[in-house]
Order: sequence, then C-alpha cells, then structure tokens
Amino acid sequence: STPSTSANRNAILVSHRQKGNPLLKHIRNVRWAFADIVCDYLLGQNTCALYLSLRYHLLHPDYLYFRIRELQKNFRLRIVLCHVDVEDVVKPLLEVTRTSLLHDCTLLCGWSLEECGRYLETVKVYENKPADLIQGQLDADYLSRLNHALTTVRHVNKTDVVTLGSTFGSLSHVMDASMEDLSRCPGIGERKVKRLYDTFHEPFKREV
Amino acid sequence: MVQFQEHIITELLEDTNGGLVVTSSGLGLHKLISSLFLLHHHSQGCLLILSATPSQKASILRNYENVTQSQISDEVQNSPAEITSDLPANQRLSLYSSGGILFITSRILIVDLLTRRLPTTAVAGLIVLNAHLLSDTSTEAFIVRILRSTNRDLYVRAFSDRPHSMVSGFAKAERTLKCLFLRKLHLWPRFQVYVSQDLERNPPEVVDIRVPMSTYMLGIQKAVIEVMDACLKEMRKTNKVDVEDLTVENGLFKSFDEIVRRQLDPIWHTLGKRTKQLVSDLKTLRKLLDYLVRYDAVNYLKFLDSLRASESFRSVWIFAESSYKIFEYAKKRVYHFGRSDSGKLGQIKTASTKKRKLNDNKKDEDQSTNTESRVVLEEVLEEPPKWKVLLDVLVEIQEERDKRALSGEEKDHLDEGDDNGIVLVACKDEHSCMQLEDCITNGPQKVMREEWEKYLLSKVQLQALPKRNAKKAKELKGFGVLDGVVATAGKKAEVSSISKQEHDALLAAASEISKRINKDTNAEAGDQKHVDDGGFGKGKGKGKKKKSSAGEKTNNDVASTDKAMEGGFSDEVFHRKHDQGLDAESSRETKKLPPVVFYALESDQKILDILKPSTIIAYHPDIAFVREVEIYKAENPLRNVKVYFLFYEDSTEVQKFEASVRRENGAFESLIRQKSLMMIPVDQDGRCLGLDSSNEPQSVISQNLITRKAGGRREAEKEIQVIVDMREFMSSLPNVLHQKGMRIIPVTLEVGDYILSPLICVERKSIQDLFGSFASGRLYHQVEMMSRYYRIPVLLIEFSQDKSFSFQSASEIGDDVTPNSIISKLSLLVLHFPRLRIIWSRSLHATAEIFASLKANQDEPDEVKAIRVGVPSEEGVIENDVRAENYNTSAVELLRRLPGVTDSNYRVLMDGCKSLAELAMLPMERLAELMGGQKAAKMLRDFLDAKYPTLL
Repeated sequence: STPSTSANRNAILVSHRQKGNPLLKHIRNVRWAFADIVCDYLLGQNTCALYLSLRYHLLHPDYLYFRIRELQKNFRLRIVLCHVDVEDVVKPLLEVTRTSLLHDCTLLCGWSLEECGRYLETVKVYENKPADLIQGQLDADYLSRLNHALTTVRHVNKTDVVTLGSTFGSLSHVMDASMEDLSRCPGIGERKVKRLYDTFHEPFKREV
Repeated sequence: MVQFQEHIITELLEDTNGGLVVTSSGLGLHKLISSLFLLHHHSQGCLLILSATPSQKASILRNYENVTQSQISDEVQNSPAEITSDLPANQRLSLYSSGGILFITSRILIVDLLTRRLPTTAVAGLIVLNAHLLSDTSTEAFIVRILRSTNRDLYVRAFSDRPHSMVSGFAKAERTLKCLFLRKLHLWPRFQVYVSQDLERNPPEVVDIRVPMSTYMLGIQKAVIEVMDACLKEMRKTNKVDVEDLTVENGLFKSFDEIVRRQLDPIWHTLGKRTKQLVSDLKTLRKLLDYLVRYDAVNYLKFLDSLRASESFRSVWIFAESSYKIFEYAKKRVYHFGRSDSGKLGQIKTASTKKRKLNDNKKDEDQSTNTESRVVLEEVLEEPPKWKVLLDVLVEIQEERDKRALSGEEKDHLDEGDDNGIVLVACKDEHSCMQLEDCITNGPQKVMREEWEKYLLSKVQLQALPKRNAKKAKELKGFGVLDGVVATAGKKAEVSSISKQEHDALLAAASEISKRINKDTNAEAGDQKHVDDGGFGKGKGKGKKKKSSAGEKTNNDVASTDKAMEGGFSDEVFHRKHDQGLDAESSRETKKLPPVVFYALESDQKILDILKPSTIIAYHPDIAFVREVEIYKAENPLRNVKVYFLFYEDSTEVQKFEASVRRENGAFESLIRQKSLMMIPVDQDGRCLGLDSSNEPQSVISQNLITRKAGGRREAEKEIQVIVDMREFMSSLPNVLHQKGMRIIPVTLEVGDYILSPLICVERKSIQDLFGSFASGRLYHQVEMMSRYYRIPVLLIEFSQDKSFSFQSASEIGDDVTPNSIISKLSLLVLHFPRLRIIWSRSLHATAEIFASLKANQDEPDEVKAIRVGVPSEEGVIENDVRAENYNTSAVELLRRLPGVTDSNYRVLMDGCKSLAELAMLPMERLAELMGGQKAAKMLRDFLDAKYPTLL
C-alpha cells in the first residue's frame, strides 16, 4: 500500500545474508533492495531463490538442506541457484541435485556469477511473460521458415537450403524433385540425397 | 578369393572366441564376411550381423549369392535375412529360432535381448562391422556384454577397414577389444607380406596421366591454400590446439575437423566466436579445394554463390586477403564483363580466354548490348581440363583396340571371350558421372553451355520478385562487400555501378534464355534442332528415359533390388543406348568410342566383379578403389587390366592421395606398436562367465564399484528397475544404467524417456536436443505432458563427457535479458512449470549415479501403467507398436514445421496424403478440407509455392 512496497514489487528483494556476495554486482537489468526475508532472493510473489556455491557446499554439505527447510511451503516456485565453481563437479552436484529434487526445489546451474545474476534477472523480468517464446513460434520470414523446415532432415545445412531453393525455385518443387535432380546440386552428396528423397517420398506412416 | 584373404579367415577362426580384424581400406571385407557365412550352419544357432551400412549389406549379399551360385551343393543354403523395424515381434522370433544369418540393427537386437524375446543361447555368433565406431558405451558393447554373460560358446568377429580411425584417441584398439571381450587383434595392412605378395604378383598395367590445371584453377587453388594457411595461423595464435596437427596437409582431410574438435570440445565454452568460426571456415575451405577439382566452372561458381549467400557475414575467411581471388577467378572461369565503349579492357581479358562463337551466343551478346548499353557479358565457360584428357584417353583406347583387332586373333584367345571391352570410369560422385556421360555424348562445350543456362535461369526469377525484396536480398548477400574488396580504393562508386551493370547484364542474358526456352516449349518439341537450346526440356526427357530403362533392367537382374543398384545399372543401360545413337549419327564426334560405364565411388558398390572391365579410368583417384582394382586383378590373373589415373598436376588432389597412403601406413605402424604393448587380461572372458547373469560383471569400473560398496549392499539393490522408452536405445544411457546393475525394461512410452518410479518421470535432453526442442516448442509440450501425468516431472540436461560442462562462456552472456538466450528459455520454462525438476548431469556415468540415488527410497515403476500414460485417447485403441518405427519421423517433423500446420491438424494431414511429395501437389480445396480451414490451407499452399528469392 505504501509507495515503497509498490516500488519493491518491481525489484528483486535480497536477503541481508547476501551482503557482500559479488553476484549482486551482476544484477543490472533489474533494481534490487535489501529486505528481511527468509530466502536469499525474492523474485516475485510466489517465487524465491536460494544461492549456493558448490565450493561452499563442499565445506558445509548440510547448509542447503537447512535453508530449504526454512522456506516451508510458502512459495510456488523455489529455485536453488547453484554456482558451479569447482572443477570436480560430479559428486557435489549429485548431492545438490538430490537434495533439491527431493525437497521440491528447481535447480538452476550457472558457471559464472554473470550467468547466475542473469538467471535472477530473467526470472524477475519474465515473471508475467506468456510462454510463446518456448512454444515454437518462429520468425515469420520465408527464408528462416524454410531453413527451419528443411534442416529437420539430418545433415542438411543452411548452404544446402540455399542450393536447393535456388535450384528448384520453391519448396514444392524441392519436395517433388527426383533423386537425379537432387544429386545434381553442388554440395549435396549421395547420402544427403537419399535422406532428402526418403523424407519427401516415404509415406508418413510406414505400413506394418 | 585371393590367397591372403584365406589367410585372414584361417587366422581369425583359430580363436573360438573370435577376434578383431583391421585391414587396409579396399581389401575386400565384404568377401571375407560372405565367406564366413558359408561356414555357418543353422544348427549352431543364428548368426547376427551388426552395424552394416546399407551399401555394405548390399555388397556382402551380392557376393554371397555369387559364391553360393557357383557352388553346386545339395543342402539348402540359408540365405541371409534382414530384421528391420517393420517386422512384427512374432516374425522376428521365428527368424531368430530358424538359426539363419540375420542382418539386424543394434537397437532392435538390444530391445529383444532385454525383453528376453531372443534367448542368448539361440545366438551362435556375432559379426560386427565398422568396429572403429565402437566404444564401451555403445549399444554393440551392451549387446556383447549381455550375450557373453550367459552364452559361453558365442563368438564375436569384428571388422574394420579404417585403420586411421582405430588409432584416434587413447589406446582405442585396446579399448575396442575390451568392450567386445576379445583378445586377438589381427592386423592386415597393405604392406603385409602375404598381401603385397598376392597383389604384386600380377600387377595391372598402370598409366599415370598428369593433367595440368588451367591458370585460373591454379590461381583458385593457390588462393584457397593461402586463406587456409592464414586461418591455421590464426588458429595457432589461440594457443588452444596442438600446433603439430595444424598443417595444410592435415587440413585436406575430413579427420582434421575431428582432431581439432577433440582438442577444442572440452573448452568450447571458453572459446571466442572467432575461433569457433575459424573451425567451421577450415571445413568450408576444404570443401572448396575438393570441389575445385570435382565440379565444372559453372557449378563451382554456383556453389560459391550459395556460400556467399549463406555465410558471408559470419565468416572470417571471406574477409581474408586472398579470398577475393577465389571469387574473382571462379567468376572469370565462367564469364566476364567488358565494356563495349572501352574496348581495351575487354580485349585484354579475352585474349587469354577461349571465346566461343556460337550463333545463339552472338545473339545473346547483341541482346545484352541492347538492353545494357555499356556492359557486355562475355562467356568464357572454361571446361575442366580433365574432360578433354578423358576423351583423348577413350579415343586412344579405341584406336588401340581397333589396331589389335586388325592384327589378328591373338587377342581373342588371350581373353577367352571373357573380355567385354567395357571401360569403367570411376568418379567421386553421381553428379560427375552424369556430367561426364553427357560430356561424351554431347561434347564438353554443350555440357558447359547447358550448365551455364541453368545457372542463369536460376537467377532470372529475381526479376519476378518485388523490388524491395530484391534490394534486401542483395544487401543480405553481401554482394557489395565482395565487389568492394575487388575494387582498388577510391573507385568505389564507379565499381558499385559496374557491379550493378554486371548484375543487370546477367539478368538480361538470363531472361533471354528463359524467353527462348518458353518459345521452344510453346513451339513443341517437334523441331529437333531446338532441343539443343532448351537445356531444361531435354533434362526432363532424359530423366524419364533413364527410369524406364532402370525398371526393365531390374526385371532381368535378380540382384538389383537395391535402389542404389538400379542407379548403377541404369547408367550402363542408358549409356549404351547413347553410344549406339552416337555411332549411328557420328555427325558431331567422328571418332568411335568404346563402351563406357560410369561408376560413382560414393555409391560404394562393388562393381568390378560384376562388370569385369578390361580398362579402368580412375577419374578421381581414391586409395580404396586402387586396392579394389588390385584385388580384382589378383583374382583374375589372366585378364589384361589397364588402369589410367587422371591427376591434376601439382594439385591438392595428388597431395591428398599420397597423404592418404602415408596416413594409413602410419596408422598401421602405430597399431602394431599398440598391439605389442596391449594389456588384455587373459582371464577376461573367464571372469565374465563365472559371474551370475543378473549381476552385471564386466567393465572395470563396475568391478571396482562392487568391491567399494561394502559387502551385501549390492545384493539388496539388485532388483532396481528402470523403464526406458524404445527410442532411447539410440543413446548410450541404457547401456550405462545396465552397467550400474539396473534392470532395463524397454517399452514404448508416450510420455517421458525414463520412468524411475511411479512418481518420477524423466525427459532426457542432450545439449543439442535441448536447443532444438526449445526452438520447436517440443520441450514445452513434453514437459506439459509429464507434469500432467507424474508427480515429479524431471528434465535431464545431459552434457557430453568430452565437451565443456556449461552452456556458454561468461563473455557470451551479454548485457541484456534477450529472448533468444538459453537462460531466458530455461527461466521461462521453470516459471511456467514450477513443479519441473532439473537434473544437470556432467556425463552418462554421472546420470546413472543420480538415477540410482534418486531411486533409493522410491517404489519400482509399473511397466503396464507407464505404457498407458498419455496415449492419445482420440485414436481409440492403445497402441502397442513402436511409434518411432511406424513413422517417417523426419517427414513428420518437417511437416509440423510448415506454416499453417498445427498440433491439431497434422495427424489429419498425414492421413489425407501419403508423403510430403504428395502433399506438395495437393490443391487448396483439399488442403482446406484436411486442415479444417481456408486460412491455414492458404498459409501452407503459399509457403509451398513461394518463389525462392534467387541469388545475386
């Protein structure tokens, strides 16, 4: 209700515990402010994050568990943001994975402070964003759609798409091309020809 | 069979366990394998052949048929069958129990073994081809482990004819032996005593012809090598790669990428964009060198155009100093522009080129002069020098034959009527075959002319495009940039106007041709003379003729059911037709040519034994083919075989050929050294057989694990089960899970890849998959489904052991939150599916550890339930079939990426038409019917028919 809380709604709230974490330097695209909170970072009404450096985890293997327990069930999305800062990751990462998975936390890994900071920023910025971006919507222009479609065939690359397009003129002509015509295209070898031809001419459903 | 091949077999048979055979390439592995078939008897159980490529399969089968036909035996030979995914389970079962010889894919075999459809005792032996592709996590190793664990008498015979891939990586040969549980390594290099004795007793007569390259070709080659060298220098500067490997000679081989990638992959995320680009540039440059000697001038230019269009902005090399020469020379080989008003420039250039003076040629020029007052398009159309030499050689062969025929019967009794006089021309690819064939029938000039017309035609459509688009395309293609480089400083403005004029002149020429062709087609094919001009019409007619003749041939020939074979034969048939025609006409070519057959090395058919040629012309010399010829000669010591090699003098072609011999020898030397130092435990096999079948023995790692985990703990975990989707057997994870002692239950899953418990469902994504399925929206859909049916949906992000463990380097992250970054996509996914759990796994083995630890306190998954989950109810029945096997997956994927096609209508579309090719022909009305709406149908139709914006 106060101006400060409405301002805080657009900012990441950072626990006092995180004071001195160099990660904070890398939160630049969103405002942030210290606050009295249970989690390390409050990223939205129902979203929170705990920060864990793997090096710290090696020293204090129980730390993560106690922090998660503190959170209780107050959040819809509970992120464990893990900074992978050791060489030999397999064992510590296994423990962190196990703890967060079995205690209802989503694990995100960053390999640098920049990357960790960017995750925090992004989760905040995208708080109310629809999922269009990952639902397969594409650039609408012809070339990228054609690229997108034809490169489903294995080993067909962008140069090949240009070759095919400029040789046959349109996608329907490419699809209708004979093996011979396909093999006349520079850069498209025997196997690619076969793959392309099969993709176009083999029935969608194989007869059983 | 040649004697040394018998040696190989006897040596291999000495050990009842089998062994690994590594030979030089081209030493006739297919013959070895088909003769092993003869030793098989169905009472022993079935013999399974793994990981054979289709062409290997075909040549093994053909060879086997030849051998069995010549042997008149009473007992019924069990001819090899093939187990494909189309075969229903019960038929597979009956094939297994018949004890026959079976070609099988490892994915089917492992599933049948795990479901115990195939009892291990029913298998007599295993033949593994392409052994160089094996590793201890590959499915083949998994298969051998399961079979070995219960079947004491099993033999495994593995083969490879790629010695240089057997030495890549640390102790590769030793590890391959271990993963197959073999002890014997048999090495058969070309320089082995028996081999060289056999092959050099009666060597074929060899004529080595060095063809000088044209000035421009040399120029291009020099420029490419210069650029390559510059790229390599650049690369050395990065200090990331072992400098010793960075030589131009290495750069000529495909394996160079491998060398570089192997060193760079683990640190890939720390590399700058520039270094990454360098790696791909080197690959492109290698292609440019290769194509220089393979393609004619026009096609080469076309390839360069495509390259320029597709990668001008990213590439480093395009901006290198010498690369403008590549483009410039390539263009000069095809055409150049002279200004009609400043004759000097034009004349100097034409002096060095052969300018052809055809009637229509002149007309062209006149036309373009009319439309574009100042710039004249002059065609150069340089022919590849080898063409002429090939024709000369053919003429020479014929003359020699005629002479001999005149001189009497001598020849006849030598050849015993066996000599069919066929001349075999071996080229690298099908494309060159067709072109050379054309070249012999129609003459080189005409072929060049047709290619040129086609090239121009592909550009003419540009005019039809709206202007804005054309402009945009031009900018994108970096047209200006390149010609800008050509320009000397200060003349920029003038040059750009010249390039525009060039552009216009090209277009004018193109439209001229297209007009003429239109006229021709309108005037109907009645007038034969005009066919000469209409390159397109002719091409089509030819295609048809070819097909029908191929059809006829198949009826006659038993062995030629293979599609690729048809191609091979049709060439022959087709060509003969032409020869007759040519002889009858004998108008253009006055000289008679012998019957010629073209053969594409790429098609990998063993054609020598079928055709029995007396003269062989290696148009593109290749080491494996040379060996094949040697063996062919050794098998037929009485036949006169003459071999011509056509090399471009001082070219990378020669260099590459010689280097490949050196490389192979080096590989064998290293293998011989390795063999003497190898540590294969003698009791390896015994140990493995001593253990209980359900408790997984084998690999050293798991052996250690057993001892490390105190006492009986292992026993308690013994019944750990994981349900795995059938499609996942393409990956190695099931194998590693099995190594860890889990029971793998293969089923077809609609939702998820791995079911660990009634609650936990895992979708596995390799890094590449992850990016791809984010882009296509598939991941979103998959996670949605998992969340719907399971309490704990899990996304497993699996990094590869030998690649870097991270998405990107800190420097690549950038300053802003951008929608395309993987971070943004993952964040969005997490926000939309708060219940989704993510596993970040370093490697396969780490994944297995994590799985085991997650399952610790969970119930075992229920197989029957897992199968039912998420099966679409709209289809009524629950499907028991393996989905992936019932669909042409790449076609379905492509279909789903087309505009207008959605999750809700693609199934109907698939029901409504058989294939993509059919879809491409459907009219709007029908599409609207299937897609449930005019709008979607129009979108799709428009996309299919949209004119591709042409280059230039």
